[in-house]
Amino acid sequence: MMMKKKLAALLLAAASAMVFTGCGSSDNQSKGGVDKKVQIEYWHVASESFGGTTVKELVADFNAKHPNIQVVEKYNPDMYKGLTQNLQAAIASGKNPDVVQMGWSYLNYAAENLKYTDLQPMIEKQAPEDKNFLKENYLPNVLALAQTDDGKQIGIPYSISVPVLFYNPEIFTAAGLDPNNPPKTWKEVVSAAKQIKEKTGNMGFFMQEYADNWTQQAIIESNGGSMLKNEGGKVKAGFDTPEAAAAYQLLADMVKDGNGLHATNEEGFQAYLSGKLGMVCTTIGKRANFEKSAKFKVMAAPFPQFEGKELKVPAGGNFLMLFSKDADKQKAAWEFIKYIESPEALAKWSTGTGYLPPRKGVADDPNGFKKMIEENKNIQVALSTMPNLVKWASFPGANGLQAEQLLIDARDIILSGKETAAQALHETAEKINNLL
Amino acid sequence: MNKAKWPAFWFLLPAALLFVIFFYWPLLQNLYLSFFSWNMISPTMKYVGLSNYIDILGSKEVYKIIGNTVIFVLIMLLFNFVLPYLYSFILGHLLQRGKMFYRSVLFLPATLSLAVASILFLWIYNPLAGPLSIVLAWFDMESPRWFKENLLVIFSICTIIGWKVFGYNLIVMLAAMVAVPREMIEAAKLENASNWTIFRRIIIPMTSSTAIYVFTITVVFGLQYVLVPVNMLTQGGPDQGSSNLVYIVYQYGFIFFQTGKSAAFAIITMFCYMAFLYLKNKYLEKKVYYEN
Repeated sequence: MMMKKKLAALLLAAASAMVFTGCGSSDNQSKGGVDKKVQIEYWHVASESFGGTTVKELVADFNAKHPNIQVVEKYNPDMYKGLTQNLQAAIASGKNPDVVQMGWSYLNYAAENLKYTDLQPMIEKQAPEDKNFLKENYLPNVLALAQTDDGKQIGIPYSISVPVLFYNPEIFTAAGLDPNNPPKTWKEVVSAAKQIKEKTGNMGFFMQEYADNWTQQAIIESNGGSMLKNEGGKVKAGFDTPEAAAAYQLLADMVKDGNGLHATNEEGFQAYLSGKLGMVCTTIGKRANFEKSAKFKVMAAPFPQFEGKELKVPAGGNFLMLFSKDADKQKAAWEFIKYIESPEALAKWSTGTGYLPPRKGVADDPNGFKKMIEENKNIQVALSTMPNLVKWASFPGANGLQAEQLLIDARDIILSGKETAAQALHETAEKINNLL
Repeated sequence: MNKAKWPAFWFLLPAALLFVIFFYWPLLQNLYLSFFSWNMISPTMKYVGLSNYIDILGSKEVYKIIGNTVIFVLIMLLFNFVLPYLYSFILGHLLQRGKMFYRSVLFLPATLSLAVASILFLWIYNPLAGPLSIVLAWFDMESPRWFKENLLVIFSICTIIGWKVFGYNLIVMLAAMVAVPREMIEAAKLENASNWTIFRRIIIPMTSSTAIYVFTITVVFGLQYVLVPVNMLTQGGPDQGSSNLVYIVYQYGFIFFQTGKSAAFAIITMFCYMAFLYLKNKYLEKKVYYEN
């Protein structure tokens, strides 16, 4: 069934690609030369139900404001994988798009395999007045998200999501906890979960169990552990450490004591939304969905810390890459990037998707996010962890995604109590190092 | 006779060609792909010879997966073959009243899509908020983690597939049951044969051709059905506890983007199917009674 659907989607994509390129070339002919209208292509993964209408709105607004530039937006199905496949084919045939959304986990692949345009030199050449644009408008740790390990800026951060702690204030009150003073440290999370179970009989805590290790990375790295390490130029599994094991064991012990839930992701969310679960640790991207579906007031707290240790939350979302080759297109593309990274445009994008804006100052900009934040405290909470953003670790190489799966399997082993965290992480690290 | 041979040949040819193009050609392509390392995105494919096969057969993973697959098949045979067999006998020969009612009620779930069934069961099995956990709580029992324990997860997924497939198989078996001549059963009853004797001596031999069909589709289609709930609910987890030969092909191909290994798994899966069909033909087919 899935295979068939994939195939249908592929065929559809191919068909629509043909239509698009068809339109593109005829447009060029009709407009070329006379009024020198520069046409650029913007590729994105925003489907109709997830920001697609916002993309169209932004592009239309930009085109209306810039009579000499024509942006054509193109939706790529199947997220960043689909987009990367199309992109590779387009680059091979010399018909590359200009501005492209790229997922954080594709950062290394994109840097190694795609012929992108280096951003900073391009800005200095085509728009010297903006040469400090990146430095002035973005936090250094946010800019670093779109840098390769050797510090090369391959794109501009665009969409950001962070893990937060959602909780049910009604359960908190019933358990004698203060909903206005949610747990700040993992120690407090553990005792709150225990109190919830004892006083209300409800389950205390659930950490998302998606097919990735995003939140698990957050807790491991916040305890001073790391996912990857660099050993003599080779990337290896870095989580075979006491810090990582202690963080993971904390989660496993909550499950063992009956205060934490170990279930599929959807089951955990269902339980939370039906008022049977006190706290859920998941992405701020679920905010709108939770707020709409829950019968209680959904409240969020920043991702908890370990006492005396630095908080580290990995960024989800995407960044923008530039592929234009000739000067006119580069200038036009830069105009467009500046527009969609403007506070107003980012505020619209945020509303349409639930992502956080990557730029400094958007939160206080009167045209930007300000109103939304004042109305919704949960967004404010997520924004407060922006200075703690780190890169979403991805295992390199052809077996990278398989390595990710091994770590997901380890999660099941640890949370079901089959092995201790230290043991399971050690075995998994060995397996992964063999793969890499 | 001789003249009539050729038109029949030509009439069948277009269909056969379609099969060659859309079935045998991809199969060859798949075999070709299994000798390469390719991520579906990269423009270059790297030839690796047999190393995909060597990797797979040398890993512990493959034995766990084949083991899981066998367990899936056994539980599915219980839900989708043995139970429909017994129920169709009851429905066809023992039940006196409410035949239409039972027939419709038992068939109805077969009309729903597996994806819908998966979501429904995700709710039913929810360990905190699901109806099953509430019922268990009446008896002071805690709901197990249906999708997070080894073996239990296979059982849980098989119930979803059973819910979907049971009704269809029941109707097919029922058609065979009612085709068994009534006189034969009446005669047996005059001889004071018990229901069990009737079932064993008359029903089983007389319905064996349909039964072998249902048996085969239960195994062959059943394993393909497994993909939907596994992909939606467990992604092969916990710790590959619900992974199987069909899902692993999907996982390597479309999640890990290791198309070479995925193709190699597909070839191995095909050999498993072939072994199954061979054994079936050798040992079961002989005992089957075909009317024509």
